[in-house]
Amino acid sequence: MNNLLKFSLGIFLSLGVAWLAFVVGARAQFGDLTPSSETLDEFGNIPSDSDLYPLPVSGLAEQGSKEYLALGCMTCHTQQVRMVEAGFDVERGWGQRPSVARDYIHQKHVLLGNTRIGPDLANVGLRQPDLEWLHKHLFEPQSVVPQSLCPPSPFLYEQVDQASGKTFTVVNDKNESRFIVPSIRAKRLVSYLKSLHQNYELPEMAFVVNEEENIEKNAELLNLPASDVNQSSLPSWLEKQIASGKEIYMKAAPGGGLCFTCHQPSGEGLAGQFPPLAGSDWVLGDKERLIKISIYGLMGEIEVNGEKYNNVMAPPGIPPGSLTNQQIADVLTYIRNDWGNSASAVTSLEVSTVRNKIKGRAPMQMWTAAELSAVDE
Amino acid sequence: MKQNSEQIIDKSLKLTVCFFVASAGLWLLAAALLAYISAAKLTDPFFLSSFEFLSYGKVKIAQANAFVYGWGGNSIFAVTLWVVARLSQAEARGKVIVLFAGFIWNLAITFGLLGILDGHMTPHEMLEMPAEIWPALFISYSIIAFFIIVTHRSRRNSNTIAPQWFLLSSLLWFPMLFLIAWNGLEINPARGTVQSVLSMWFGQSLIWLWLTPVALGAAYYIIPAILGRAIDKYYLAVFGFWCIALLAPWSVVHHLEGGPVPMWIPAIGTVMSIAMIFPIAVASTNFHSTAFLDISKVWNSLPLRFVIFGTLSYTASSYIGVIFSLPAVAKITQFSIINDFHFNQRVYGFFSMIIFGMVYHILPKITGNEIAKGAKSFHFWTSAFGVLILLLAYLIGGLTHGVLAQQPSLNWASSVISSILPYFQITELAFVVLGFSQLVFVVNVWKAIIPNPFAFFTNDDDATNSEVSA
Amino acid sequence: MTKDTTNNHQPSSMSDHDMVEIHSKLNIEKHPPTKGFLVAPLVFVFVFGCLIFVCSIQLAHSTNQFQLHPPTDIVVLTEEEKETARLDRKVASGKKVFGLRCASCHQANGLGIQGQYPPLAGSKWVTSDPALISKIILKGLKGEIIVKGEVYGASAAVNMAAVPITDREIANVTTYVRTAWGNAASEITENEVSLFRAESEDQVEQWTGTQLVDMFPSVFSN
Repeated sequence: MNNLLKFSLGIFLSLGVAWLAFVVGARAQFGDLTPSSETLDEFGNIPSDSDLYPLPVSGLAEQGSKEYLALGCMTCHTQQVRMVEAGFDVERGWGQRPSVARDYIHQKHVLLGNTRIGPDLANVGLRQPDLEWLHKHLFEPQSVVPQSLCPPSPFLYEQVDQASGKTFTVVNDKNESRFIVPSIRAKRLVSYLKSLHQNYELPEMAFVVNEEENIEKNAELLNLPASDVNQSSLPSWLEKQIASGKEIYMKAAPGGGLCFTCHQPSGEGLAGQFPPLAGSDWVLGDKERLIKISIYGLMGEIEVNGEKYNNVMAPPGIPPGSLTNQQIADVLTYIRNDWGNSASAVTSLEVSTVRNKIKGRAPMQMWTAAELSAVDE
Repeated sequence: MKQNSEQIIDKSLKLTVCFFVASAGLWLLAAALLAYISAAKLTDPFFLSSFEFLSYGKVKIAQANAFVYGWGGNSIFAVTLWVVARLSQAEARGKVIVLFAGFIWNLAITFGLLGILDGHMTPHEMLEMPAEIWPALFISYSIIAFFIIVTHRSRRNSNTIAPQWFLLSSLLWFPMLFLIAWNGLEINPARGTVQSVLSMWFGQSLIWLWLTPVALGAAYYIIPAILGRAIDKYYLAVFGFWCIALLAPWSVVHHLEGGPVPMWIPAIGTVMSIAMIFPIAVASTNFHSTAFLDISKVWNSLPLRFVIFGTLSYTASSYIGVIFSLPAVAKITQFSIINDFHFNQRVYGFFSMIIFGMVYHILPKITGNEIAKGAKSFHFWTSAFGVLILLLAYLIGGLTHGVLAQQPSLNWASSVISSILPYFQITELAFVVLGFSQLVFVVNVWKAIIPNPFAFFTNDDDATNSEVSA
Repeated sequence: MTKDTTNNHQPSSMSDHDMVEIHSKLNIEKHPPTKGFLVAPLVFVFVFGCLIFVCSIQLAHSTNQFQLHPPTDIVVLTEEEKETARLDRKVASGKKVFGLRCASCHQANGLGIQGQYPPLAGSKWVTSDPALISKIILKGLKGEIIVKGEVYGASAAVNMAAVPITDREIANVTTYVRTAWGNAASEITENEVSLFRAESEDQVEQWTGTQLVDMFPSVFSN
């Protein structure tokens, strides 16, 4: 005690032992986890051809995480779903399963947080996939969640006088409408929030609740707003066509295309498997090509928004049990006008014109990308 | 002869201690303002919402940093410098260099806080200031610590006593912790949730191994000094000290209970938190059995009243902390605003109250200027009242928050959060009271340092120094 | 000594010199001589002992043996159970492949779409010879076939050549369809599939229905 050297040594050792455990030990134990497939194969190895989770996030989302950090969001929001025995996070619908260490390995800064004045955000990308909702919430949280204590961030948006295709309309409690255009920072942040999801299983942690239950829970808890503010301004015939198209999109044959099983209800497809429809250059582009695919299907390698996909799309337009010209027109109009897409409607006349043009084609002969581009020219 | 030497020591410390106390006071005011803004933003989200640099997250974090590094750091330097020099019976060394280092320290914190408000914070608990200023913090701290240790080495009596152990250990622990965190988070960053473990370990250890020992050391010094009697059951103190040294660094990670880390990390944290009962019992036995031998004297001496408020608060908060670390309770309160309760309890109710007492004890001796009794008394009562309602609001609010959050059927915003809104309003009120209280404290301090303030209305810190040295 | 008002009427305060002296001495002498024994240290020792006991029990129960991953119920499996578990994993993996690659036509319930896509549930094309289904997946199928008494293939064809698929995926997905929806056929292994792949190397086009009926007479004999 009286010898300064011995005293210092004691002080160093007392901290050093804890350091060995919590820093050196923890690092050795889980400092270099690698991505893994959802399940291991029958020999306990990662199957060579499966996707590895967690998937890396996009560049925009990564920039968004810096905005999230800079604004201090983690003061009130956690990003961890606790073990079932440690809390009721899963029951609350904040995740399909508890978070594990492997979920965070791609993150430069891990933003676990320790206080929940706002809800947990570990799965916010699944819970709240609506772009418009997220932007409105960032601009003025109280416009979508009236009791929210979250501070508004108007500085991320530009307010304009006129509504247009680029604006979102925010209505406050005094029923005044404001039209906002998101800045690049807001877009980054929203992209980051959408990238937050732990919607995959890992060998060490399986889902605790299944997807339907989870969606149900969230629909109840979030009292989702009607997501069709700009649709109400559409002419009624178009609205009708979109509604019918949505039904076909979600329905099995007969009378439906079962599109959502591959392209997902969100229209986002699946990374590396099925191309997205939302924001897709194929969907928003040439109508004729779109109609052709809807009649005969598509196979082989294609490139959508710069990403390569290689799969088979069964044709919904070949009899029997196939879609009629009107149904194809409806479903195409729908996919061109949901998930933030906005493009002209497709009429049944257009579909029948194309159908006549390619009459001679053998049934079940799916298009290939090469064929389609050759026809274009 | 003895009195003479004490006066010589005080004189050698006048410049540096006054500088640190004065700047600590300014940081305290800055923290009070930020605390009020963040509390007000919780009750009215639209309050100042158009200013990006005042968004809630930034202000809240800037407040914690201003409080711990600005007020805490500066007052730690002042108290440690003075107590170590006095107990060593030796004049302080290297005062110009210490002053310079102190200036760097404050400059670094200023830039750090501006960095946080400008959106350059790091995600590491209690280390949110941008990494660019970490070297400045580390170097200036090491310089000051080095000269305090040099002073300690030249002590007259080679035996050391409890206040010296606590103060010196905190001097050594801070740079160690800082280096570990710096290496593990920036130089050679860990991947995944190892980062979270390290950052939480640092953030919580900082409170336990840096602020707490200083306050305990100060209490071990001031209680016998004013009461004129030795610490009761003093033979336990050495045991209590090593218990803190061995247990505290292990006890701080229980906040990760149920999180995405291996289970042994929070489990060890929980167990060690329970074991912390022991050093807590030792310290409170020492303090309180000494103080209650002569309670009227404690009551009449304002510095001691502050200190005993702090030690009582330490005992209470630590026991509450032990209870809240039990797995069954932690499950409920884990992510609730009970975290604010723990932080404010430890940093405000315990650390700051003891430091207030120490400053009121030190300043008159150093400057020779009295502080008006009424003003001191006003400060005590407003502080005590403010701290109590603040902590009660966070405690009850935190429990409500936790219990409601455990009911999955309740809507988050409209049921859970709106039920704790009244407690946020109480904390806003408490921060107003505390703000006034701290304003009085700072006026007291500055009046003691500069009895004629009107000559020095222009420049804060530099003006102080030139006046003091003049 | 000082001008502090609080200390002016408290003349008994302790100087620093005395403080060091007195407390240093206390550390050596422990306490002033007393009669009998001291209660306090005994209480501390007792409480400390209890604490260590409680803590070690808590530690033993809650650290999960210092494992990285959250606990799963550890059961010692017999060979038979291990085999079941392996098969379960294989079928689960096959189900995933099916959902991604097959379900859009044959439907998740394996019933296909009447007149367009043949059913897999209860179909002997699926449940009979392992080589049959594996080879269809390897090379595809075109032309008319009869499944469960109905004619298919007028309008549809499976063209697997467009989509690369590994032997293991084929083994898993065939094992899945051969055991799902009431089917109860044998497992197909990866080795078998690679054998079938080698056998059907010469086939360039998709198989036709008649070709397959000729190849597997035992399946279609009745």
